[in-house]
Amino acid sequence: MTILEIMERAGIKETNLAIAYIKDAMHLIQSQGDDALATWKVNIVDGTRDYPFPANLIKLKSISVKDTNDDKWKKIKRLLSDPTVTEDNSP
Amino acid sequence: MSFDTNNTWVYKISGRNIHLYQYLYSATTDVLAGYSIRIPDAYFGDQLVYPDESITGGLRFEGTAFIEPFVNYDPNELTVGNANPTLTDQSSPDEDDHVNLSRMLCLAVVDYLRSRVAEANGNLDLKEYYMKEFWKKVGDNHSNKIQTGMSYTSTTYAVK
Repeated sequence: MTILEIMERAGIKETNLAIAYIKDAMHLIQSQGDDALATWKVNIVDGTRDYPFPANLIKLKSISVKDTNDDKWKKIKRLLSDPTVTEDNSP
Repeated sequence: MSFDTNNTWVYKISGRNIHLYQYLYSATTDVLAGYSIRIPDAYFGDQLVYPDESITGGLRFEGTAFIEPFVNYDPNELTVGNANPTLTDQSSPDEDDHVNLSRMLCLAVVDYLRSRVAEANGNLDLKEYYMKEFWKKVGDNHSNKIQTGMSYTSTTYAVK
């Protein structure tokens, strides 16, 4: 469906406003479901614990770590409790 | 070399970051002359440690994102030969570009826009109505791809 068709059905005449609303709606859709999935791969660095989420990620589905033994990425589990050590200066 | 990463790695969400840990059931070790040795007096048991190796592209995130929200061709129409269309992202979309959603989700987007217009006009009842329609269509689109079966037990003398 074109942007023009959506504008005509909704009775909106301002194109930029309609595009902004369409992006809002798409964001809501992506927040609730998994219509368009993407993957991102980040290097793991020895001794580094913190890794930022991808900037354009909307809803997290899974996190995996590469098993170099058999060259597969395997889903890892989320910790439900806080580790005792909050920071390690000599990991 | 990492192995059984599904059992030996865990993460924790911390704001915009994740904290990545390796789970160990051993003592702290070091490498001496090519041999991994246990450090004297090191604690032996369950431990969460920072990643102890570098892995290129080792951390994989999967999730939803804005992926080509506006494209040059209708994503719901097959090309000649019944192939999926080749879509090109439109970074500066205009009125002739297509929204990269299924037709059902496009109809949901129409309801969303109607709700925003109703809200701007101060008609909150109408806004709520269109938002309800929006979520109904989003739910329909999702359930269109899922087939589930439901079975019920019936009592001996139930009317069938």
